Amino acid sequence: MLHYAKIWLASARYSITRTLMFRGDFFVWSLVELFWMSVNLFTISVIYDHTDSIAGWSKYQMVLLVGTSLLIQRFLMGFFWSSIFEMGRNIRSGNFDFYLAQPGNVMFMATTRKLDPDSLVNSVLAAAVVIYAARQLGLDPGVGQIALYGFMVICGVVIHYSILVLSISVAFWLTSAQGIEGTYFTLMEFSRLPRKAFTGLATQTLFVWLLPVVVVTNAPARLLIEGFDFRLAAWLFAAAVGWLAVAVFVFHRGLRNYTSASS
Amino acid sequence: MFAPLNKYRQAFLVGLQSNLVYRVNFAVRGFFSLFHLAAVVILWSAAFAGRSDLGGFTLNQTITYFVTLLILQFFISAFNEDYQISEDIRNGLINQFLLKPINYFAYRFSIFVAARLVTGMLVILPLLIALPVLAQYLAFPRDFTVLLLGLPAMAMSAMIQFSIAYCFGMLTFWFLEIQGFVILSMALETVLGGQMFPLDLLPAWAYSVAKCLPFYYQMYFPAAIFTGRLTDTAAIFQGYLIQACWVGVLLWINHLLWTRGLRRHTAVGG
Repeated sequence: MLHYAKIWLASARYSITRTLMFRGDFFVWSLVELFWMSVNLFTISVIYDHTDSIAGWSKYQMVLLVGTSLLIQRFLMGFFWSSIFEMGRNIRSGNFDFYLAQPGNVMFMATTRKLDPDSLVNSVLAAAVVIYAARQLGLDPGVGQIALYGFMVICGVVIHYSILVLSISVAFWLTSAQGIEGTYFTLMEFSRLPRKAFTGLATQTLFVWLLPVVVVTNAPARLLIEGFDFRLAAWLFAAAVGWLAVAVFVFHRGLRNYTSASS
Repeated sequence: MFAPLNKYRQAFLVGLQSNLVYRVNFAVRGFFSLFHLAAVVILWSAAFAGRSDLGGFTLNQTITYFVTLLILQFFISAFNEDYQISEDIRNGLINQFLLKPINYFAYRFSIFVAARLVTGMLVILPLLIALPVLAQYLAFPRDFTVLLLGLPAMAMSAMIQFSIAYCFGMLTFWFLEIQGFVILSMALETVLGGQMFPLDLLPAWAYSVAKCLPFYYQMYFPAAIFTGRLTDTAAIFQGYLIQACWVGVLLWINHLLWTRGLRRHTAVGG
């Protein structure tokens, strides 16, 4: 464990040094993240100009939900996205060989090598959106509630990480994951919707339970709005463990298919 | 007379072949876009609950708008053309075009048309599969003139889409990394192109401002014509005019960036 912590810290140090070398790049990317967060919040604002409620959620409850989704997404982008995005291209080009020669588990090495400090900076803004929405709703959560909220957000990051690794692992079979990794963002759209909006049996089963991207954000947001729900927290933890196990399994099965440079 | 165009026909055919190689990827992408449609249906159905219209349009008209947007995206959007151009410049692949009687813009545009033809056809398949479910939400105008009015707007939208991507690709002459600019612009295009919500839901003043920007003509304008959100013929012809002006402006910027960029370009090796 300590060995992996050391490797991760070395990677983090490298990423931060690199960011300090390309300060302009860091500024542009921070702006990119900020713009995309604003796009989501602006969309809510426009829709709520024409309606008072979406599936029983008021405007600021919705902002809280979207803020939670953005927080999870920023952590995912900050800690894993660059590495996982490159993974698809490396599999295609054969540069993935590099990770096979690294002193650690291939999946860990390939998915944690790069940090994106710009996303991590914006996670502060996403947290600010959550705090602002909570204030507007007159919520006053206790320390335990905030701690459980944090735990649920971590579970959410693990679930999204697993789904992302799974979708990129397709490249082991298709050679090119070009365009496929982007489709992952489609799933993020569901995480910004209230669970009660899923009225059909098929959509509930698929998006709420089979792909738990809706619960991942709704559960922590509801925790702040309605109070403790340990059953939901336990379910989220079990889902995180389950999805991670599937991702590890599929990644390693895919790795057997890896044939180095393909073109 | 058409002999000089033959080389672009060949580029188009090569583009067709190379894009067909990745047909599975595009098909998967098309399939995943159904998830986006599902999210749209769920969100807007919840927003419309208990009301017959929102901003003067029904739920079915709104869903039809998003379905049309999806089809347009696969037929006219620039997917990764900016990156391809950027790679050509960065890796020195454009050197060969400097020595041959080939216009780089026309070459790239031929490949873009081929690529969109492939992706456009491939998105039809998942949409046909989803049709039994989607059909209840579709409310296309029965008047076929919208098709005639929408096609020129769609063609010019494709030009705007490609020209913007080409501009970003050209930035590689000045910047090593353009990805940040591209995604920054994508955020603007997504909102002001009407991909998050129909632009007519914006407050009147914001809608008037949006109509002056090129993003409005990238996606919203043809989609609004095809779906009957924009029916006033005078307004449509006025839109054509502004759209044509943006095409002209963007082509001029493309040319300027190419000529200025080449002055900075250093060709190394053979």
